[in-house]
Amino acid sequence: MTQTLNNTTTDRLKIYNTSPELYDAMMALSNASAKDIDPELGELIKIRASQINHCAFCLDMHMRDARKHGVSEQKLDVLAAWEEAGSLFSERERAALALTEAITELGNGHVADEVYARAAAVFSERELGQVIAMAVTINAWNRINVTIRLEPRASLK
Amino acid sequence: MSRRINLNRVSPEVYEAVVALNTAAAKDLDPDLAELIKIRASQMNHCAFCIDMHTHDARKRGMNEQKLTLLPAWQEAEGLYTEQEQAALALTEEMTDLTRKHVSDEVYDRAAAAFDERELGQVIAMALTINAWNRIGVTTRLRAPKR
Repeated sequence: MTQTLNNTTTDRLKIYNTSPELYDAMMALSNASAKDIDPELGELIKIRASQINHCAFCLDMHMRDARKHGVSEQKLDVLAAWEEAGSLFSERERAALALTEAITELGNGHVADEVYARAAAVFSERELGQVIAMAVTINAWNRINVTIRLEPRASLK
Repeated sequence: MSRRINLNRVSPEVYEAVVALNTAAAKDLDPDLAELIKIRASQMNHCAFCIDMHTHDARKRGMNEQKLTLLPAWQEAEGLYTEQEQAALALTEEMTDLTRKHVSDEVYDRAAAAFDERELGQVIAMALTINAWNRIGVTTRLRAPKR
């Protein structure tokens, strides 16, 4: 079967119908992760993880949400190369993005002391916990939506 | 090595939500199959605490020692694992490794052929839930107990 993302070949499981408890549990996890975290920072974390995990639905959703939160277009454009973008991102954003990348790419290695310490230096313990939680949660959504091949909202086409 | 935060202490709502997610994912899923999914994802994500916990749990459940030993090379030991186990492991591996490629039709279709829709949803749920635990365990550097 060819690997296309159009409507005609996307007939995977409607998991939110077959596992409704999963959806409820994920929504509860999302709500718990969003507490005490700056919404703009939350969107940057969600978009960067979704880029790494290639989740089209998640990218579409969170780019739109980020724009609604007033994240600058330049930040969104350059996010995939944030390390090269100097002061466009704050130190808190850079620390959170480095941590998000490490958390997302566990297959390539662990979460290095350098990356962890950089985040621990700019966030309180509670904030750091919530940054980690946000990265964990978007990774879970990415895995669901890639696996069931959820398409970006039809209304946007 | 620096000490890391205890997520359960600083973000208890998150911790409880992941526990609830785990409970939701475990419904209608064979416990032995669930352990294989959890151990294989934990191996790929290098979560020492999770590998230790779930290998220990699987052994307590009476899982065949050879199945545990050969799990990282299950594709080369096909006769040892049932078709359901193989299909679930292939899906778990692709779901765990999203950075390199997506979840292919071949792997998805194999799982869809081996499981009914409810079971397939729960296999997917378990694979993403252990991925969440792995991320917590590795990031906060949870230590496996000495046994």
